Amino acid sequence: MSPERPGLARLQRWMQEVVVHPGAVEDAIEADDATRHITSGRLTDVVLPSHSMTAVERVGVYHGMYMMRMEEALETDYPVIRYHLGDHQFGHLVAEYVQRFPSTSYTLNRLGDHLPQFFVDEPEWPQAAFLYDLARLELAMTEVFDEEESPILGSEELEAVPPDAWETARLRPISAFRLLDFKHAVIPHLVAFHEDRPAPSPRRRASWVALYRRDYSVLRLELSRAEYDLLREIVAAAPLGDALAAAAASKSPRQQAKVFRWFRTWISEGLFTEIES
Amino acid sequence: MKDNRWGFPDLGLGVGLRTTHYAHILSEKPDIGFFEILTENYLDTGGRPLFMLDQIAERYPTVMHGVSMSIGSTDPIDFDYLAKVKALAERTGSLWISDHICWTGVLGRNTHDLLPLPYTEETLVHSINRIKIVQEFLERPLVLENPSTYLEFADNDMTEWEFVVRLAEEADCGLLFDVNNVYVSAYNHGYDPVAYIDAIPADRVCQYHLAGHTNKGTHIIDTHSDHVVDPVWELFGHTIRNVGLRATLLEWDADIPPFEIVHREVLKAEGWRREEVADVA
Repeated sequence: MSPERPGLARLQRWMQEVVVHPGAVEDAIEADDATRHITSGRLTDVVLPSHSMTAVERVGVYHGMYMMRMEEALETDYPVIRYHLGDHQFGHLVAEYVQRFPSTSYTLNRLGDHLPQFFVDEPEWPQAAFLYDLARLELAMTEVFDEEESPILGSEELEAVPPDAWETARLRPISAFRLLDFKHAVIPHLVAFHEDRPAPSPRRRASWVALYRRDYSVLRLELSRAEYDLLREIVAAAPLGDALAAAAASKSPRQQAKVFRWFRTWISEGLFTEIES
Repeated sequence: MKDNRWGFPDLGLGVGLRTTHYAHILSEKPDIGFFEILTENYLDTGGRPLFMLDQIAERYPTVMHGVSMSIGSTDPIDFDYLAKVKALAERTGSLWISDHICWTGVLGRNTHDLLPLPYTEETLVHSINRIKIVQEFLERPLVLENPSTYLEFADNDMTEWEFVVRLAEEADCGLLFDVNNVYVSAYNHGYDPVAYIDAIPADRVCQYHLAGHTNKGTHIIDTHSDHVVDPVWELFGHTIRNVGLRATLLEWDADIPPFEIVHREVLKAEGWRREEVADVA
């Protein structure tokens, strides 16, 4: 092999640096990350021109497709954020995000896993706190979609729990369940996206949501703070007696009836897979 | 009739399984030879995709087609990935596992593109070693597809078809012969696609791919976004005359139309296949 000839490893490192560069292909070829492997002056020693394209243009085909692919993948996982930001701003977000968190997985399904963290790390991004909440919602929806299927706790299993065992019984949620608290009202943005209405302005308002999957569809329950607190205790494996007593602290019949109603809804929605008594 | 050396069956005509067609396939139960599944779409999910796949794999033969094996990469082989690929093949009863003659990333990154390899002796030795390791791990022959490429490296020691033939023979692997990719690369690099087809050893070919592409004037991109063009059908006819009948699949991955349109497109291959059978008879 001639000393001038780059080996396979060097060639691949060079090409990857060029392909993933966020700027124009000409800048990518000149960038330090690429020239440490192959200098820009040697491009035509490495890549041949075609009958109709220069070597730069041919490398540019791969360079251009990379960012398009990243954008497509992130749009699949974060359609509401794309809808909120619009194509132009979303494109900027993707370009910055994949520089910080490039794909290291065999699947593009994991590409967006760090988007909430990105907004934590980049507080100067416009509306970063709101986008952090929205990213957490959309990431949780993807996770719920992909989780393993769990058997649903049925009425027979519940009826089999002896009355004196309820105090210490613990419920286990299905795998496809996520409980989320937000500082912003994110659900109106999800609804606006699905109904193809203009997205509302971000509003700071605490909100609580349970996401779960039933019949392979991702569903949600919007919760009050009290519902969220009780459900959080239950899914953290607190004994049911303690969790319910704390929720119905006033012991008023009205409050107890409300807690009972919540509990019945969660059971009938299939949020739990098992009861340990 | 020529056959492949592993006895992989000619499954007739199939299409790539896409989420937008799940409901149609399960309700209408179309008469189709097989489905090709995109391996990575089913590796890390326990949700709807796997639920749908299980039902479809019960009814139809399936084959697996991956995009992340990165067989030509200088990164270490990802055995966790391979273990998942193997488990999915066992779950679905897929008849063979295919991927591409390419690399997708180095230094732990994945660009999720099928990047071109230089056709050098170094690349050949490197790729052959990796294919042998992968085949031993998967306990079956690997079937590799010739890629569409948009650039050529100046240091190539051989043509693409010389590389592909030596790779298949020396690694003892199968080939998924993509006729559209030959057309695309021949256009982009200015070589004769017939010379490519004529060089391919029939006993290595396990499957064919057909697809539409996007002609940008200066070059063609393999977009899988349209009908198959007539020159590709002509090359397909030439291929089956040289190689024989094999499981033939239409890929349609962008601007995906209703299932019936995709199905009708692959059924066009039946005419070419009948012609080949008549000629042999």
